Amino acid sequence: MVCYLLTKPTNPLNKKQNKKIFWLLVEEQLPTTIRPPLPIIHSRKLAFPPKFKAPRQVWVSNMDTVEEEKLGLIDLHPEVFAERPRVDIIHENVRWQQLYRHVSYANTKMRYEVRGGGKKPRQQKGSGRSRHGSIRSPIWRGGGIVHGPRSPTPYFYMLGFNTRLNGLRSTLSAKLAQDDLHIVDSLDIPTDDPSYLEKLVEERGWGPAVLFVDDNDIMPLNITAASDSYGHYNLMPVYGLNVYSMLKHHTLVLTLAAVERLEERLLFHLNRNDAASAGQKYRLDSV
Amino acid sequence: MASVAARSFVFRQQMNTRRFDFASCLKIKSFYSSYSANPKEKSPENYTQYHEVSSDNWKFVERLKPPTVVPSFPKNGSCFSDWTPPPDTPPNLPYFVKRTKNFMVPVYLNFEAVRNQRKITMVKHIEGDIWALEKAIKSHLEEVTKRQVVSQVHEVAMYIKFRGDYVLHVKKWLLNAGF
Repeated sequence: MVCYLLTKPTNPLNKKQNKKIFWLLVEEQLPTTIRPPLPIIHSRKLAFPPKFKAPRQVWVSNMDTVEEEKLGLIDLHPEVFAERPRVDIIHENVRWQQLYRHVSYANTKMRYEVRGGGKKPRQQKGSGRSRHGSIRSPIWRGGGIVHGPRSPTPYFYMLGFNTRLNGLRSTLSAKLAQDDLHIVDSLDIPTDDPSYLEKLVEERGWGPAVLFVDDNDIMPLNITAASDSYGHYNLMPVYGLNVYSMLKHHTLVLTLAAVERLEERLLFHLNRNDAASAGQKYRLDSV
Repeated sequence: MASVAARSFVFRQQMNTRRFDFASCLKIKSFYSSYSANPKEKSPENYTQYHEVSSDNWKFVERLKPPTVVPSFPKNGSCFSDWTPPPDTPPNLPYFVKRTKNFMVPVYLNFEAVRNQRKITMVKHIEGDIWALEKAIKSHLEEVTKRQVVSQVHEVAMYIKFRGDYVLHVKKWLLNAGF
């Protein structure tokens, strides 16, 4: 969809006037969304249906219009989205995400690295002063540091699989409980204008920072172009979902496909029986 | 010089250049590191015969493989072990102890402290009023064993630990309670 100016502005540098005309045209030329009778999305079949826990129900909204239109109501699995949030596990996950790739480049020289200090300062006996072997020993001023930082020091470690899994469950549950989780049918928006996205987010009261999550890693062109100019609207595939990003962004917006994939993966790992044998090859401390 | 020629030939083979000269007739060393370096496949009669088995027989292979996900247990029929299936309705209590993914009662025996001296009975997968459950199990254990029972309630991780080996007693209590 191409927007063009009908009238030539008097001053081409008058950005405010241009913007006004442009936005009027955008509003005029947005295609009107024609929908079949609601609700479009009726229900979802849950894998590993919960026995005594009630599934959580959420609205499914649209991205076609700035105003929110509810397309239907779906169930979310309570073991993924209604788990008791473990704050300690969330903290562990955040700490791991920040630390595992951290490399400390701080460095201090040891006694053999400090310039000089190869010669015995004075003879062992006779001078009346204390005995020394080198002017760069750690007890000397300007000498080497014994247990100081040594560059590069990696802080890599792997958090246990189940800790990471439960971190995702806890964070998703916390997001849903705090009304920061929204489901949309897809991430297709009618225009690639960045202000459309901004208006949409403002209208719906979504947080300053929004994380859009879809199943596919190649996102629709319009939303990619629209969110490109904003650092606080981010697109992410399901496989990149992590605790730190979910906490950094105020609102989490999942597509239906993303919800399906997320639930399928998390429930599979919660109910599988061959985790020990499957995880054997990833164990760091065993051959 | 011969060693240099050999090394250059080897290097050329690795580089996969095709030069039909005297050196290429010599086969000093072969590195089958790429497709084009490998000898090409000959016609089928040079190799052993094979015949395709019907794909219907794959089910005999599949049923030998263990299932990755625990299948659901049969609803009727008795098990020859002392395992009882989880009930269909939860008991009317302020707490609930969920079965594991293998439908087992979540009571475990841990060995803690130095050199695995201390036996600890752990109850996991607790939901609801954990203190009420701890009081109920503790009073039962003290009644059965006629001695003081020390316990730990972890409200964040939702588990209870009892100092001592009371696994069978706790499991029996939980099954009787209807979990």
